[in-house]
Amino acid sequence: MNSPTLPIQIENLTYAYGSAEAVRDLSLTIQPGRCYGLFGRNGAGKTTTMRCLLNLLRPQRGQVRVFGLDPAKREVEVKQSLSYVPDQVVFYPWMSIRETLDYLASFRPNWNREIERELLGRFGLDPAQHTGNLSKGQRTQVALIGAVCPETDLLVLDEPTSGLDPIVRREFIEAVIGAYQQGVPGRRTILVSTHLISEFEGLIDEFTIMDRGQAVLTLDADHARERYQKIRAGFAEPVPEIDLRAALRVRRDGRDLELIVNGGGAGLLERLRQLNPKRLSTESLTLEEIFVATLKA
Amino acid sequence: MLLKINFKSGLPIYLQIVDQIKAVAASGALQPGESLPSIRPLAEELRVNRNTVAKAYSELESLGVIETLPGRGCFLKENHSALRKEVRRKLLTEEIDQAIVQAHHLQVSRDEFLKLVHERLNALDDKRRGHEGPKESQKKEEVR
Repeated sequence: MNSPTLPIQIENLTYAYGSAEAVRDLSLTIQPGRCYGLFGRNGAGKTTTMRCLLNLLRPQRGQVRVFGLDPAKREVEVKQSLSYVPDQVVFYPWMSIRETLDYLASFRPNWNREIERELLGRFGLDPAQHTGNLSKGQRTQVALIGAVCPETDLLVLDEPTSGLDPIVRREFIEAVIGAYQQGVPGRRTILVSTHLISEFEGLIDEFTIMDRGQAVLTLDADHARERYQKIRAGFAEPVPEIDLRAALRVRRDGRDLELIVNGGGAGLLERLRQLNPKRLSTESLTLEEIFVATLKA
Repeated sequence: MLLKINFKSGLPIYLQIVDQIKAVAASGALQPGESLPSIRPLAEELRVNRNTVAKAYSELESLGVIETLPGRGCFLKENHSALRKEVRRKLLTEEIDQAIVQAHHLQVSRDEFLKLVHERLNALDDKRRGHEGPKESQKKEEVR
């Protein structure tokens, strides 16, 4: 614990709203330069976890560290070291976009005007417009500009693309890749919570799936896609008897068999092959499919 | 050069980029000395992490497929294997062995297999000839 090089360390974090436990005994570590996904259904505890990192909530048990610092004790330093796009973006409605960005910049030691100009142009935002007149998508875009321009080493995104149209979601992710990641390679770290997993598939290096406040699965994304596979087999006769206990999920319908495996796919595939199926194919699960398979299992 | 990431292939994303650029180079769609897209636009287009593209490029560089000229970008190298011949043969042997195992399971006979290899080599030659035309023009090649 307390390593200044690690962007985020969470150890046995527990937080309850009254008697309702939102996060229970959560531990995770995020290495620098990674894009880390926090996946979970609504109410899984993602937002509560992020709020503890920002000292918007105090952990009731366990501890959180941002670059080795306790957010409750070193709030200013922690907040200077990161940028945050909350799930609900609210600005002062009487301010223009220009005034809003200047206001946000006034809290920051560094503000990249060039990236600000680039992103305003890319999103087609008029700086003179009042934020009270913006759509939800435009408000999120302004919030993203406000989060990217300070060029912090950590970007925390809480459900940033939910409720946005597909084009805006696309532009949002491209801006994160292009503008935010353009700093020193391997240094910029992203923590993103989302249930729209497919949007972030290519960006995610590592992820934790949360369910009812607990971490149920933490894996490297490439490794996960290698382990979780869908095997489909079609037989000339009704599916023969075969030991399928190694499979995570089994669907059969007459002559067709569909399995989801978590590791050990090669062995099962070999056994199926010996039964001389007419068709046999495998494909990896996407992160979204892994999410669904994990929570349904 | 149009690359495509398939999240269902089970191959790490950076390796898919490596394989596709190697295929584009082998087909002649990308000629020695021509530049590769820079990391940022490629990452944005594929919607993958920039570190992933950077990892693919450094892998291609260590394989001797591309070279990085500081301040100018990445370029396809002329004679692109830095590895000794026996190492290259060994690497290829592993790939061929896998294809042979696959052929066995798909009940493709020895003769059929060899015929297929000839066909694929000829197809690649045809593709290369197709790219020998105008060198400076914009070339686009869809890979799979």
